[in-house]
Amino acid sequence: MGEKAPTFNFLGLTFNITNLISITVVMLITFFLILWLSRRPQIRPSGRQNVLEWIIDFTNKIVESSLPNRTGQNMRVLAFVLFIFIFIANQFGLIFQVKLGDFTYLKSPTADPILTMTLAMIMIVMAHYLGVATLGFKKYFKNNYLSPYVFLFPVNLIEEFTSFLTLGLRLFGNIMAGEMLLNLIASFAFSHGVITFIPGIILEVIWQGFSVFIGSVQAYVFVTLAMVYISEKTIVEEL
Amino acid sequence: MFSVDILASNQLYVGDMAFILVSFAILVVLVRIFAWGPVTKMMQERADKIAADIDSAEDARKEAEELAVKRQEQLKASRQEATTIVSDAKNQGNEQRQAIIDKAQTDASSLKVSAQAEIEQARRDALASVQNEVADLSVQIATKIIQKELKLDDQKALIDSYIEGLGTHNEA
Repeated sequence: MGEKAPTFNFLGLTFNITNLISITVVMLITFFLILWLSRRPQIRPSGRQNVLEWIIDFTNKIVESSLPNRTGQNMRVLAFVLFIFIFIANQFGLIFQVKLGDFTYLKSPTADPILTMTLAMIMIVMAHYLGVATLGFKKYFKNNYLSPYVFLFPVNLIEEFTSFLTLGLRLFGNIMAGEMLLNLIASFAFSHGVITFIPGIILEVIWQGFSVFIGSVQAYVFVTLAMVYISEKTIVEEL
Repeated sequence: MFSVDILASNQLYVGDMAFILVSFAILVVLVRIFAWGPVTKMMQERADKIAADIDSAEDARKEAEELAVKRQEQLKASRQEATTIVSDAKNQGNEQRQAIIDKAQTDASSLKVSAQAEIEQARRDALASVQNEVADLSVQIATKIIQKELKLDDQKALIDSYIEGLGTHNEA
């Protein structure tokens, strides 16, 4: 962050090459991992099918805890892909970081706000769309902006933006901070030869372990909150 | 410091956003087609199969229970039947025995009666023939003794009374 990013313009849109590469690589890993896990499914599961079904059950439970209805049925596959994608993206930067010259070409895509905010936007827009689709515009508007009291309208309006920002920035902040500290520890390790290298390695291993934990928790939190927002928009709260 | 940099960078990577949107949508669709569909279908099949197995096991258990109860009833019924058959046979045997004994008794008594009657008849016949012969003999003896023709019929009453006296004398 703060470093200059390699960019190019295409059709009047600015593209960041680092993001494109990282996102593509992570998506390919996600897809082929899921594909590999799901080959030849059997009635009597074994090996990798168990792993995949465990993950599916896990994300299905996240969806069901806030959306135990038909909307939730359609959200299941989205929650599943979102969870695995964010999880892999979070862990990715801990293992691979490719730097060439001044530019980083490969890192956690979730360490860049553009990805996390885009994912958050997808979920929030979808939540509002589903809200209108299931409740009708009038009820959706009343449920979202005028309840519990009409005069809370400005607060509710601001809340829509804050929930969008927090959803994206929470993920971004956690992962970016993790990677940044990882880089700081690495530069510390190489600063004064062997004296700093050994404690540096130890610190790096500890921090990587902790980052794996943070990355997993953040993937879970992102999916959970996205489902909670969708349920807030689609289900009328009884007062 | 970093956040200031981020906000200060006046480049918003709109291209990246579009790229993420499109590629994420493609990822979801691909996963849905190639992995999610088959695996969840298999999971559903398994859930259905387990439910069906549980149901059929329950049915089988119920059926077995019913059969066991039926068997028990049948066993009880056949045992009862056997007891009634045995007791019937016993009663019948008793009756038959009684009937045979009764019949034998009646047969024996009738035999006794007829035998007595026969004996009586024989005695009477013997007595009658003896009477006749005695009468003839006496007449012949008397004829020879008194050399005189006696009329048999005239003497008959006398002889009969005599023989009657003989019979009573014998019985006494």
